Order: sequence, then structure tokens, then C-alpha cells
Amino acid sequence: MKLHQKSVLSFFRGCRTQAPDREGILLKKGTRNTSYQRRWFILRGNLLFYLENQADHTPLGLILLENCQVEPRLGATEPYAFTILTPRAEGTGGRAYKLAAENQEELGAWLWALAGASWRRLVVLLPPLEARYRELCQAAGQEPSSPPEDCSFLATLSIPSSFQELHEHFGKEIRVLQVVRRRPQASANGSSRSQTQEQQELNSC
Amino acid sequence: MRYNEKELQALSRQPAELAAELGMRGPKKGSGEPALTGPLAPLCPQPVGALLLERCRVTQEEPSGFSISFMEDPERKYHFQCCSEEQCQEWMGALRRASYEFMRRSLIFYRNEIQKMTGKDPLEQFGISEEARFQLGGLKA
Repeated sequence: MKLHQKSVLSFFRGCRTQAPDREGILLKKGTRNTSYQRRWFILRGNLLFYLENQADHTPLGLILLENCQVEPRLGATEPYAFTILTPRAEGTGGRAYKLAAENQEELGAWLWALAGASWRRLVVLLPPLEARYRELCQAAGQEPSSPPEDCSFLATLSIPSSFQELHEHFGKEIRVLQVVRRRPQASANGSSRSQTQEQQELNSC
Repeated sequence: MRYNEKELQALSRQPAELAAELGMRGPKKGSGEPALTGPLAPLCPQPVGALLLERCRVTQEEPSGFSISFMEDPERKYHFQCCSEEQCQEWMGALRRASYEFMRRSLIFYRNEIQKMTGKDPLEQFGISEEARFQLGGLKA
């Protein structure tokens, strides 16, 4: 069964300037060559891409994260090892991707990020939130609005006034900056360009 | 780019969000019967391919069809023919919801609105309020 690579690649490339859900170095055990290779992993939604190098235009591969099990793997040759087990197709077992983080902190963060990555999870989470919102609108005599097609609504967020709102407002800003700061240093040329892009992104937030 | 074909097949075996026989015409000639299971829409029942439904535009095409084009290449359209206007609307709605980014944006939107109205974060009860993927700062145009 063919994956329509064009749609996947255009998604991958189109999102390059946007902060992914998580990215960083992981060691990946090869299939033919069973040693661990250093790869750059990018998690976006329920898609986990891996690249040979951070700045590559085309990923080496893609792991689809629906109905996967993500577990730490004890007794592996590498410390901080974990497995992504993909679901079974008929007749065959799922495939186990053997990965390892570089330290305990990274392991914990990746396990957490990957565990919640499925689209189906959003399908479960969304309806109660939408229902609650409509309920609140009805109680307030307010017309419910729909989620925006794009993110321009961020510009219309009300200016925070109370301390609590300020606290939350700046908390969000700090989180954005943390995301940006956590992004890895690319090559000298790459990083100056991406810093400008990041600045633009932050300004448009 | 490598991917595991068995992962795709497993995906296509899952209960579909929507499945139907629709006429399909890609930018090149071909036909298929789309079924939808989340952001990757395998073409069933003998899946020959799967499309990633992110950064795409779904447009109604008269009389009772729609087309999918991708933001990076808006001229290349994948055309689908439905048997009724109703089926067409059903598919267009499902395709919209199939996008992970759409679902995520909606979730963040409702979370933000509920928080504004009640002062409480509705994701706290699920213990997921700190997840990076649900933060406002993670939203980009």
C-alpha cells in the first residue's frame, strides 16, 4: 500500500518554521545494521519523523503513532532505551522501533510526549470540551463561536487585567520562549536564519 | 522516505470514521474508494494508497463532489464524486475533522474559552494541562 509521499513531505516542509511538539536526538537501532544510529527526531501530531541531520530537507523515515505502545526497555545495551510498538497488521506482529534517549530527562520527556500523540485521543478529548463550552455559552446567553480556521484569533485575545490573568499571560509567553530556547543549535548559517524566523513567529503570537 | 507499510495497513483495518465508494480522480488518472481513518485516509477496501490530510484545502465542486488540494501545490486537485449533496457535506465535514491540526486548534480554542469564562483550566481534571501540544504558544498560523 503506497503512502502518498507528496502530501506527507509537503506537510513536513510546510511546518518546518513552526515549533514541533517535540524534537531532538534519539538513538535508533537499525534493522539491517543493528547498531544504534544517532538521528534527529521530530514529533508533530501523530507523526514521528526522523532525519539523518537536523537541517535535512527530506526525512529518512516516518513512524505513524496511532494505537502504538511506548514503553521503556530495561536490559537493553543502551541505557535510557525505549520501544515504540506499532499495531499488528493481519498475520504479522507489530514492528518494534528500538530507540534510546541520551539521558534520563530526555527519556522521560519523550515517553510523555509520545504516549499522548494519537489523533484518536483528540477525538475523545474534544467532544466534552465542546459540550462544556456550548453549555457555558447558553448559560451566559452568548452565541457560541467556532474554532478558527487559522491562528489569527490569537491577536484578539483580550488584554489581561487582573494579576491572575497577567500571571497566565506571561506564563504562556515564557512557555513559548522555552520552546524556542529548547530548539537545538543548527549550523552557524542555519541558526541565524532560524533565529530571525523564530523572532517573527514570536512577534506574530 | 521510509515508512512501514504494515503500519498503514493496520491503520486501514481500524474502524473507519467514514467509508464509502466515491468516484475519485487524481491529478493523474486513477480510481479508488476512499475511507477515512484519521489524518491518513487509506483508500479501501484494497488499500492502494493513503493521503495525509494536513495543510490541505477541501473545496466543494459542483454538482455533488469535492476536491482536496494541498497548500504547497494548490493547482493539483484530487477530485471525489459523491452520489448526493448530503454525502458530499458529510465527507467534507469528516475530512476537516480528520486533520490533527484542526482537532488540536479546536481543543486549544475551547480550552481557552472555558478558562476565560470559568477561570478554570478544563484540562486540569485530566492531568494534561502541561502537555506541550495543548499550549496556546504552540499555535501557529
